[in-house]
Amino acid sequence: MASDVMMPRLSDSMEEGTVLKWLVEVGGEVKRGEPLVEIETDKANMTYEADTDGVLIEVLADEGQTLPIGEVIARIGAPGEEAGGGRSEEKEPASEEPEPEPEAETEAGEEEPEEEPEPEREREPAPAASSDGGGGNGRVKASPVARRMAREMGLELSGISGTGPGGRIVKADIEAAAKGGGTAVEEREAPAREEQPERAPAPQPSADGAKGEVRTQELTRLQRTVSRRMAESKATAPEFHLNMEIDMSGCVELRERLKEVAEPAPSFNDMVVKACASALREFPRVNGAYRDGQWELYSRVNVGVAVAAQDTLIVPTIFDADQKSLGMIARDARALIGKVREGNITPPELSGGTFTVSNLGMYGIESFSAVINPPQAAILAVGALKKKPVVDESGRIVARDMMAVTLVCDHRILYGADGAEFLARVRELLEQPLSLAL
Amino acid sequence: MRYREALNQALREEMEADERVFIMGEDIGVFQGAFKVTQGLLEQFGEKRVRDTPISENTIVGVGVGSAMAGLRPIVELMTINFSLLALDQIINHAAAIHYMFGGQAKVPLVVRMPQGAGHQLGPTHSHSLEAMYLHVPGLLVAVPSTAADAKGLLKAAIRDDNPVIFIEHEYLYGQRGEVPENGGPMRFGEAAVRRKGSDVTVVGISRMAVTAERAAEQLSHEHELEAEVIDPRTLRPLDLDTILESVKKTNRAVIVEEGWPHGGVGANLAALIQEQAFDYLDAPVARVTGADVPMPYSKPLEQAAFPHEEHVIQACLSLFKDL
Repeated sequence: MASDVMMPRLSDSMEEGTVLKWLVEVGGEVKRGEPLVEIETDKANMTYEADTDGVLIEVLADEGQTLPIGEVIARIGAPGEEAGGGRSEEKEPASEEPEPEPEAETEAGEEEPEEEPEPEREREPAPAASSDGGGGNGRVKASPVARRMAREMGLELSGISGTGPGGRIVKADIEAAAKGGGTAVEEREAPAREEQPERAPAPQPSADGAKGEVRTQELTRLQRTVSRRMAESKATAPEFHLNMEIDMSGCVELRERLKEVAEPAPSFNDMVVKACASALREFPRVNGAYRDGQWELYSRVNVGVAVAAQDTLIVPTIFDADQKSLGMIARDARALIGKVREGNITPPELSGGTFTVSNLGMYGIESFSAVINPPQAAILAVGALKKKPVVDESGRIVARDMMAVTLVCDHRILYGADGAEFLARVRELLEQPLSLAL
Repeated sequence: MRYREALNQALREEMEADERVFIMGEDIGVFQGAFKVTQGLLEQFGEKRVRDTPISENTIVGVGVGSAMAGLRPIVELMTINFSLLALDQIINHAAAIHYMFGGQAKVPLVVRMPQGAGHQLGPTHSHSLEAMYLHVPGLLVAVPSTAADAKGLLKAAIRDDNPVIFIEHEYLYGQRGEVPENGGPMRFGEAAVRRKGSDVTVVGISRMAVTAERAAEQLSHEHELEAEVIDPRTLRPLDLDTILESVKKTNRAVIVEEGWPHGGVGANLAALIQEQAFDYLDAPVARVTGADVPMPYSKPLEQAAFPHEEHVIQACLSLFKDL
């Protein structure tokens, strides 16, 4: 019974391989462990050895052919064994069958479909001088603005006669045609679909129409900045996420007591900011950035606090948060958030952050991840406090105020252990919150 | 007031207002300027601030660059734009680049004034229009005023600007009269003037060609019932592309008129910008009317044939509407 030789996985990143050279001829004897075929992977050319004894009875992948991992490339069988089912197992026939064309986009008309010449052109033949495509290749000569308007109005260019130089259809021709009623664009598309008999003519006017009217909204500069920076972050920072639950019972208790003496009383977020700031001092790389092949480590610890503002996201900075008392952080944060909401925050107050805390706990979000604020090394996503049953040190089940946090790290500067140690320190500080008051 | 008087007034007012401003060049003092732009300045400000120099363009501009870096505000007059080629090293390698090369620590508030243009039978070494050459260079601002008012307003702005400015005057324009607002201040760079409103075709005229374009537009209106919108960019860097695009979006056609050569010219650049940014608004290819692709002839009839006149602009505009 013949056995299949499959395209082997020769490297972790390999997805397909190219057969370079068969080292045994069909009919030749192969021995387990002897070179059988040379294969080019994404990284190197490698010799692949037979993993069974026998005769190479059939080669299914020609030299130069590229196949995905797992595809059968040859069969090894007993001497005299006939080549079996050939390539019957191959999936090619199925996959090579042309798939039905996705619905033609409405704007397919950048290149006009080959148009039959109008049966009777009333206009004069174009002068011989027009060598710029107005010739007999079926392409309709129309100005860009005419094409755009025709597309927007659903007019068929071939049904309009052009009055511009060389018979070019110009804006005025479209305007005239629009008044006189042109051919609708749907009609134009119909012939193109004839090759697909099973597809019923689409009743809907266009794919776009299904979403109703489109109202586009220009982005503000701020929104543009957010979108650009977030995309940049995702595109460039190889990130990983670390999740942890922190017992905030101590913080809850501390806050109750602080409420009696402090105005404003620090919020849980302020405590998180303070804890992060203290921990950042101890883990300088978390307080750094990867930039252009270097690590930048900052001497100041400036914690940004993500704040939702009218249709955008603003991250004001609490400067030197490691050196500020919890009360000062609370006052700073409240003032900054007020400014954001009133829209009079200033650029200096939004820059210089070395780390960011994003808190969606107030919306009841229990846990989430965030996008790193580039080029910072990490962002802490903070969820809501929730009473949960927890097994305490003596094995009893008790209700504790638990808070889930996710540290999203840029792997170019932080490694798993770095992030984990930092996060453990944040937890330690929050679970022993008196240290925050120091 | 004539264009040359407007320039003279701008120089005088700026020299009066700021004693760091001084002017130097060939024949600008005792002779009062090859085109009489510096008339009376030596008398008023003395040799220290109105300096005659030997024929040494690269050195003159070099002194300008150095003194600008040192805190003065020099104005250099070169006798024609053709002669500025002798000073390209100072202009392109130094004046344009120094602010950038030294990380912004040094500025070069230098103005290099020079006339250009054909029509006076001065042959190829005196008559070319080379604004495209300076437009090409980042770091330089380029002004090409076509009226007396713009000449004054833009020169004042050029003198006050902290960047090196290539200030291109046109020999034909020196004698042209125009209204100049009394006590007019500096104009802003990068604001085009719409010289004439129109709905059928946008004509952009560079330097003297703004005047030619305006005349052509009048004829187009009277004889062909075409209303051309005429735009004078006034400064090529910064360029007020918005005004041009806005007009093209309205008229759907554009003609660019320049006296310089066609290849790599201002019109070539502008045509590229228009088609890049307003392609879907065009009803016709962007047309260019340029000087002939030859060294400027000395012979009068040949010289006249080598730079654009009204009829060339008219022809170009009409060609966008029908086969000629």
